[in-house]
Amino acid sequence: MTELVQSEPEGVGAHPTVPALREAFGDSILRHEVVAGDEHVVFVEPLRIVEILRWLKETPAHLYDFLSDVTAVDYGGGRPIQVVYQLYSIQHRWALRIKAELPISELEIDSVVPLWDAANWLEREVFDMFGVTFRGHPDLRRILMPETYAEGHPLRKDFPLRGRFTRAEQTRRALSREPKDYYIPADLEAGGEPQLVRWQETPEGPSEESNDR
Amino acid sequence: MSDDLKTSGSGLVGGLFGTGTPTFLTTKVDFVVNWARRNSLWPMPFGTACCAIEMMASAASDQDLARFGMERMAFSPRQADVLICAGRVPYKLAPVLRRIWDQMPQPKWCVSMGACASSGGVFDVYSMVQGIDTIIPVDVYVPGCPPRPEGLIYGLMMIQEKVRGESLTRHAEHRFEDPDQAGRPEADDEEVRALSGPFGNSTRQEESAGLVSEGGPATPRPLIP
Repeated sequence: MTELVQSEPEGVGAHPTVPALREAFGDSILRHEVVAGDEHVVFVEPLRIVEILRWLKETPAHLYDFLSDVTAVDYGGGRPIQVVYQLYSIQHRWALRIKAELPISELEIDSVVPLWDAANWLEREVFDMFGVTFRGHPDLRRILMPETYAEGHPLRKDFPLRGRFTRAEQTRRALSREPKDYYIPADLEAGGEPQLVRWQETPEGPSEESNDR
Repeated sequence: MSDDLKTSGSGLVGGLFGTGTPTFLTTKVDFVVNWARRNSLWPMPFGTACCAIEMMASAASDQDLARFGMERMAFSPRQADVLICAGRVPYKLAPVLRRIWDQMPQPKWCVSMGACASSGGVFDVYSMVQGIDTIIPVDVYVPGCPPRPEGLIYGLMMIQEKVRGESLTRHAEHRFEDPDQAGRPEADDEEVRALSGPFGNSTRQEESAGLVSEGGPATPRPLIP
């Protein structure tokens, strides 16, 4: 039986993208692991995450144009929270997992919504469940828990299983909620749905017209 | 006039609806009304999880809920008599369930179908309502995970039995039942605490977790820009 995690694999079976990534970003590529046989995980410097992912997405030799998932892992015990980007190159049929470790004390990382629109709700989910703040996210609100949820971020390991309030308090809060709590005031005025609020900073960013897609 | 009625022995003492004791008219009217009600219960399906699959199976041709007068699933609470809550209810859905219950016209009944709706089931976690009887009054609990269609049909037949025993004069109590009060256990706090032991249970966890309850109305947190 082989080891579950193989650190710094060499030679046969090495991922075609990882050496190029090391060459392009040097010390910002912290380490490289292979888990579950053939899944390559690259740990990178959180401060350069957008730069690295943009390179992976746009370099013609790699073209990781499909963002399968953005999620996070908390291994507990005060260890850093890992933000996970699962990438796939449709053209080359390569998969690659990028992880960025954030210390519990400062859970902030740049948003990748400018690269992939798909990251919008995924990053909201990570924010909701783990409390990671995504800088530059167009609409960073809770997505699964109610907008007025006041007990914290449920998937963190320091979160009590049954929540922080008593059941009676949770029930009281749930019943005192209004549907309008789920909308931001601008949405209500415009009569729009929350997901139509879009990020519009730069000309190359998503524009208003792209809402209708 | 009233003396004539008294002496005539027709049972109309104290007006048509009687004063305390059943009269000929009320019993017969009750019988007819209850017969009509219990044989044309329209369920409002509130299916949130796997129990809803069994509820659909109950309504499908093999089990055929229509045999009992549940001819039509009413997908509008305004035209429903029985709320069938099938599946787990998270706190985010609790105000919706309460609103649907409030929208149903009286008289109305509620079936809590399955372990999750009745008690939270295995989902004794931060996001889950521990039994819908903390949200709305429940008439019949159907155990099971999920219950078989026969179980649901039996539960609905128990509703029919309950309807059979009701009387028009007592409907007023049912009508003005306060959902807030209906969810309270009959035992007082001390009694429940004594029964639930040193570790608390799913609805009373103060003992085990040192949880806090913040008084006062819950105010929305300022929205994140």
